[in-house]
Amino acid sequence: MYSTELVVQTFISGVMIGVLYALMALGITFIYSIMRMINWAMGEFYMIGSYLQYMLVAWLLGPDLWWLAILVATAGVFGLGLLTEWSLLKPISSKAAEVRSDYATVITLALLLMLRSLATGIAGPNQFTPGSNLPIVMVGPMPMAGARVAAFVFALVALGVFWAVLRYTWYGLALRATAQSRVGVQTAGIDVLRVDRVAFGIGVALAGLAGALLAPVFLVFPTNGLVTTVKGFEIVVIGGLGSIPGALIAGVLLGLIESFGAAFIDSAYQNIYGFVLVLLVLVLRPTGLFGERGREA
Amino acid sequence: MTALLTVEDVFAAYQPGVDILQGMSLTVPRGGLVLVIGPNGAGKSTLLKTVFGLLAAHRGAIALDGKPIANLPSHEIKRLGVSYVPQELNTFPQLTVEENLKVGGWTLRREPARLKDRIAKVYEIFPVLAERRRDKAGSLSGGQGRMLSVAREMITEPRLMLVDEPTVGLAPNLAEQVYELLQTARRAISTTILLVDQNVSDALRHAEDVVMMNLGRVKAAGPVGEFGEARVRALIQECLLG
Repeated sequence: MYSTELVVQTFISGVMIGVLYALMALGITFIYSIMRMINWAMGEFYMIGSYLQYMLVAWLLGPDLWWLAILVATAGVFGLGLLTEWSLLKPISSKAAEVRSDYATVITLALLLMLRSLATGIAGPNQFTPGSNLPIVMVGPMPMAGARVAAFVFALVALGVFWAVLRYTWYGLALRATAQSRVGVQTAGIDVLRVDRVAFGIGVALAGLAGALLAPVFLVFPTNGLVTTVKGFEIVVIGGLGSIPGALIAGVLLGLIESFGAAFIDSAYQNIYGFVLVLLVLVLRPTGLFGERGREA
Repeated sequence: MTALLTVEDVFAAYQPGVDILQGMSLTVPRGGLVLVIGPNGAGKSTLLKTVFGLLAAHRGAIALDGKPIANLPSHEIKRLGVSYVPQELNTFPQLTVEENLKVGGWTLRREPARLKDRIAKVYEIFPVLAERRRDKAGSLSGGQGRMLSVAREMITEPRLMLVDEPTVGLAPNLAEQVYELLQTARRAISTTILLVDQNVSDALRHAEDVVMMNLGRVKAAGPVGEFGEARVRALIQECLLG
């Protein structure tokens, strides 16, 4: 029977997972909006974030300091992102604009394969889970795992910090300006290559944060970024490539659709509902809910 | 007058082996307004991009006040006091007018009092921008957008402004306003202007020196008095007919 309680529970569950999906989508769309390239290895940065979280909690900090582990894991992925951009992507900045995204596709696909193989080689095909001693929390009428609630709250705080940095700092202003005109920021005296590096670092750090936050829920293994990446791209298509508000709203929308579909239709098809929404958006509004036609031009 | 900018025998290309600038040389005197004219494809815009560091010069020398600047990145050239106003509207449509001006003052971000003064000065010169400071730049009219493009580059009070086709696509009355805008900028911040323009007859009235380019190098150069309408027409015909 469809009780009000079930609807409320499904809604809360959908919003919570949707916000976490949105982190991943935000990373993809943020990198695209600044650098005009898709980072196909986003799932691998998610995977690295989850492994770092597991290692820090299991070997170094313990479950009580899970929050510190998340900060360190996210910072670690940010640093790796800076290094990746500097070593692999910066060299293609001198190429003609029209071939730059093609080079970036080849490089990030190669990175995807390398990082996944490296994780399999080092950690094996085993699944790990960082311990969590957070108690069950009542969210309205619904008992929820403490780790899941903590992940949701942490993600909200991270999104708030991200928004504040973009809105109120000089660097945020430079990032917002770069997303609108790369020549424009160069004429202002902004080092656009440095902006690229920071943007890539922030983008993959958002994926790493999602990986660290979801590690206790979705487990840690070499290909754990795959499903979240697919959902991230679904969200980007639904929200519109390059649109930050679109990524946030579409993330929550996808979480809700999956959650309601699983509760009221069939949980076996949970991953299909998002694709149905993607198809609908592509038919009715191919640029996504908040996308702009020809934005990449 | 002493030279502020010197370009000597510069070669530059977008694709290796296809030079757009082919031995380009010119001198821009301090405080002057030098107009660069020439047929389409002569390399006028490429010249400005090369001076500003957006395109690499693979041969030749470019100096600002005697200091070599060829192939420095554009953000370093900007810090040396050079501004570039590209042909397209150089604004950020989703940022407010004030945020656009702040981006223009990026190099002054660690001197907030100075930056505030400079923005206030720009608002004095262009009161319409002050009125619309909280509006998105994308909501400005074409003329106001052009004003913001120029104002944004005035924030740093550059020694040299490189201005590319500022009147392209504008109605004649608006084009005249743009020239007035440049003269206002020039008087207000005592800057030197290197102007590229296809709107030759109007631009000539505002210039002091003229450089005519063809095939990536100088075809003719001299004071504006030497460039009457008949001579300009004859030179352009020569360029087009080879």
